[in-house]
Amino acid sequence: MTLRRLTLAAAVLLGCLSVIFVAAMGASAGMPDWSGQWENVGGTPDASGGFNQSLDQVLKTMQWGPPNRPELQARVDKMVASERKRLEAISRGEDPGGVDVRACTFGYPLLMLDSPLMFEVLPTPKETTLIFSSREIRHVYTDGRPHTPKDELWATPWGDSIGHWEGQTLVIDTIAVKSPFASSESEGVAVMAFGDVEGEQTITILSSQAHFIERFRMLDKDHLEDQMTVIDPTSFTAPWHLSRTYQRVTHIHRMVYEDCEGEERNPVVNGRFTLAPPPAEKPLPATAPGGAPPAPSPAPQ
Amino acid sequence: MSRVRSYNLIAIAVMLTASSALAHHSFAMFDQSKSVTLQGTVKDFRWSNPHVFIQLLVKNDAGNEDEWSIEMTSPEHLARVGWKPGAMKPGDKVTLVIHPMRDGSTGGQYLSGTGPDGPFAGSPTPSGEGK
Repeated sequence: MTLRRLTLAAAVLLGCLSVIFVAAMGASAGMPDWSGQWENVGGTPDASGGFNQSLDQVLKTMQWGPPNRPELQARVDKMVASERKRLEAISRGEDPGGVDVRACTFGYPLLMLDSPLMFEVLPTPKETTLIFSSREIRHVYTDGRPHTPKDELWATPWGDSIGHWEGQTLVIDTIAVKSPFASSESEGVAVMAFGDVEGEQTITILSSQAHFIERFRMLDKDHLEDQMTVIDPTSFTAPWHLSRTYQRVTHIHRMVYEDCEGEERNPVVNGRFTLAPPPAEKPLPATAPGGAPPAPSPAPQ
Repeated sequence: MSRVRSYNLIAIAVMLTASSALAHHSFAMFDQSKSVTLQGTVKDFRWSNPHVFIQLLVKNDAGNEDEWSIEMTSPEHLARVGWKPGAMKPGDKVTLVIHPMRDGSTGGQYLSGTGPDGPFAGSPTPSGEGK
């Protein structure tokens, strides 16, 4: 009898604990499981620093075709011609001058469209967070708030994002995006696509008024999809629809930092790039017998 | 064919601004029209940001050893195709295929390689596909 009562009490207790546990875990209840690391389909790197898709493949995948206004197209044509001259100098091994870009900051929307970075997506009821290996983070607030009021808002490379759920699809609305590269907002936000050969690239420029709507969902257990619409009457004659598919990263199952700020490896000597490997790492300090840390050095006199 | 999409940030910045500074992370110093095979002994495998380097000792025509600096991509990218920090150890005998430096100095860009345990991760197979 006592045993039965104990068993019954244990079952009741377990049930109560289960209810408490489910309540405590309510933050993820009903949310899609998008755990893991993701990368652009075609964006798997190789050991030499390259990737696996030609520009044509990338453009087809992205559904590239920005409806540029004539004045923007003229600006783009001029930029492309200038970039071609720079690349010709590089192909001769010369330093054509340029911009010191040592931080791995891609900014939005390039992070989603054609970056070589892996990322994680963490959906919760009130916010979905996208974390990239460059340590760039997108916060998408889904708690019902509107965009930040204009008098409190300033543009950033990742914009101001709010969202809502339509079933298992996260609909994201983003405004107030600025380029991490441009020296002023009037220079706009670059959207580029790159092929697998240096110089194979194309570009368009969005204005600071660009408005982005994304539909983010899981296609199957190994693929996510982002369908993006860019509304930018300053730049385009019509909304621009793009798409990207992401696949699970293989071989590594944790986030690591993609750090572009390490040692300078390409010092320019007499106007030409050279190669300078990083110094060998210093060995760790020896550990004393028994696992105790080494004795501290005497304080300087 | 060498592929360099990981450093497209420079292109974006240059196309958007007129400021003048040095362009880092270029692959311009490598002659991407040439491939050279090196056989040597690993002196050091430097798993470092922004790029990993292999320091390789290679005998020259005079019978002396030259130290080559072979540049790879970033640790994050290497890990994504199966590389580990201990993939090469000092003393390992390896064969590496590289794009050599344009200026003839002892350096290059890693393309593929074989070590004591066979081809390294991501090395092309006879069918042309990565391992």
